[in-house]
Amino acid sequence: MGKKGLIAFALLVFAIFISLPQTAVAQLKPGEPIVIGVPTFLGSIEGGESLKAVTMAAEEINAKGGVTIKGAKHPIKIEASEIRDGAPGVPVPEALLGIEKTILDKKVHAIVVGPFRSEALLATMDLLAKYKVPMLGTIAMSPASEAKIIENPEKYKYVFRTCLTSKYAAELIAGVMNQLTKDFGFKKAYLINQDVLWARATAGGIKGWYEKSGWEVLGQDEFPTGASDFSSALMKAKAKGAQILFVCFDMPQSGILVKQYKSIKVPALMAGYISPMTGEVGWKTFDGQIGGLLEAVWELGNVPSAKYPPSKAFYDAYKNKYKAPLQSGHGPAPSYESVYVLKEAIERAGTIEADAIVKALEQTDRAGVMGRVKFDKGHQVVYGTDPAKEAVAVMFQWSEAGEQKIVYPPAIADKKIWAPEWVLKPTK
Amino acid sequence: MASHILSLSIGSDEAGRMFQGTLIYGFINSVILALLALGFNLTFGISGVANFAYGALYILAAYTAWIFLNLLKLNYFLSIVLAVLFTSFIGGLIYKFILLRVRGLPISEVIASFGIGLAILEFFRFLGFVGFEYTLPVFIDGSVSLGGTYVDVQRLLIVGIGIALVIFLWLFTHYTKTGLAFRGIAQEERTALILGINSDKMATFSLAFGSGLAGVAAITILPLGQVAVEGGYSALLNALAVCIVGGLGSTGGVLVASVLIGYAQTFTATYIGSHWMMIVSLVAILVILVVKPSGLFGKQKELEERI
Repeated sequence: MGKKGLIAFALLVFAIFISLPQTAVAQLKPGEPIVIGVPTFLGSIEGGESLKAVTMAAEEINAKGGVTIKGAKHPIKIEASEIRDGAPGVPVPEALLGIEKTILDKKVHAIVVGPFRSEALLATMDLLAKYKVPMLGTIAMSPASEAKIIENPEKYKYVFRTCLTSKYAAELIAGVMNQLTKDFGFKKAYLINQDVLWARATAGGIKGWYEKSGWEVLGQDEFPTGASDFSSALMKAKAKGAQILFVCFDMPQSGILVKQYKSIKVPALMAGYISPMTGEVGWKTFDGQIGGLLEAVWELGNVPSAKYPPSKAFYDAYKNKYKAPLQSGHGPAPSYESVYVLKEAIERAGTIEADAIVKALEQTDRAGVMGRVKFDKGHQVVYGTDPAKEAVAVMFQWSEAGEQKIVYPPAIADKKIWAPEWVLKPTK
Repeated sequence: MASHILSLSIGSDEAGRMFQGTLIYGFINSVILALLALGFNLTFGISGVANFAYGALYILAAYTAWIFLNLLKLNYFLSIVLAVLFTSFIGGLIYKFILLRVRGLPISEVIASFGIGLAILEFFRFLGFVGFEYTLPVFIDGSVSLGGTYVDVQRLLIVGIGIALVIFLWLFTHYTKTGLAFRGIAQEERTALILGINSDKMATFSLAFGSGLAGVAAITILPLGQVAVEGGYSALLNALAVCIVGGLGSTGGVLVASVLIGYAQTFTATYIGSHWMMIVSLVAILVILVVKPSGLFGKQKELEERI
């Protein structure tokens, strides 16, 4: 090959190199920011508030100098992207395009929050493996992602989750149901859930638990996202004498379910997760008519507990900064926590190289806003009933005065569960 | 399916009450669908424009009412009247400044109106209208028992308003100058032009009027739950399903289709499975397009005439 040929070959290699998509470089110059991507359904309450929580954490860390890597300080820079994976009619491949764009265009070193829908999360895992980008998911709840990690740990090691999964959600509900049986003798339940992956998994888990625990499952109805009439399920629950109405919804229209439940006068205690009932604003949303209803909050911190100060500190800081209380019961607390978890992992690893961060993340053991944060083999934070030992999900009950009183787990309960008169002595 | 149906293991009294309840709620849902579809149908029937911004205008009316009520602290009745008028105005503007330019090009009309609709809905999302505080109060709180089936008063009011609106529309299109002009344009536009009816002006009015009807539907139906951007997409889908099944441009068709789809959805949810209920309207569209593409009462020309 002559001189011209060598130059042409070098130019060709250079052209190929610069035209290939590039992810973030593994070494940072001093002062160069660590870029954390937040690609999620920002138009949802969970996604929007999670981004605010992430931003708050980043600002706190930067105010103290940033992340320290081998003596050099690096600020955190947040790059948010709207992937709309939770919006009606948006297919998963479109969400994946958004995530890939975040990785390639914004050159992120890690991702927090991640996809809203579990269907999109499962598809994203291959993308993260391809580009070697660690992600701490805080919204999508399907345990199927853990199963994939356990089955193929080397490929999917970049995926972590700090929020709880449907499995832990079902365990929380089971704990509350045990308490209801013990306190009131309740044993008949009717399930109504949204027809999406996480809600089907949660309801399926709790249904299995009911059947094994001697409860009578009177029926189950699954409603597609966007449904606006729940009368069929409510009438069936009423006709069959349900004592507990277990519900599981994240769509805005689920507010109709609560209103219809009241108007059809179903003499059963509603317990579960309905997004509009979670935040302080829920009392006004339902005109103060939700006294007695039990609402799950998937991560402590999204609702504060005076008995676990880090949760209250986060909740109050968020409220002070954004001049409005949290409305979402799922996402913001683990999102906030994830930034700190990532910061500490990077500092332990001493680099932003992905594989080193992954190893450092696996060693995480810290007292976070949800409780103790530790990952299991499936890269999932372990949830339990004592924030000193594990992260915690809670169930609160609306008092007749509009206060949110934590009733489960016992370690941080404000008061015992109470049952309204119209549930204990139903009239036909 | 049989085991699911059999799982309704309740006494015969309760089974009877369930059936009665399904009939009642089926009727209510039918009226809700009719209320949703009337505006879309009227616009198409008069101007031939399929207004795919309809769902967005529905949500626009609701958010506007919320803003008037909660931010400007206006009286509720005044808020909803102003919201409906504002929505009508926006509908008219959409036609006058955008759709008029592509009139006669059906694909362009659909794309333009759909694009505007998307822009309106996503603009609300961009402005932060996401959350659970966006609710409209019901007109009258409480529920009544209809032979043992409890129904909230707001749903009964929706039925009343829906029926009143249908009667009003009939009277309007038969006894007012504008209404008769609407019918003239709908029957035969060229002849109407010869008679001095300005078709562009009427088309603008029809879009404004249809948008106003979307506003009325919004302020009546949305107090049942919450105002959310996603509701715009559902409203458009339901309005389309009813109009396609009933026949675009036919008010009688809309009423019949609403009843068919409303009852089909409610009976499906009660006796087959609630997760199938949203598919009912989509299946209805497929079936009608195969069996009678012009809809039950539609007047589309037969294939031979169109070629």
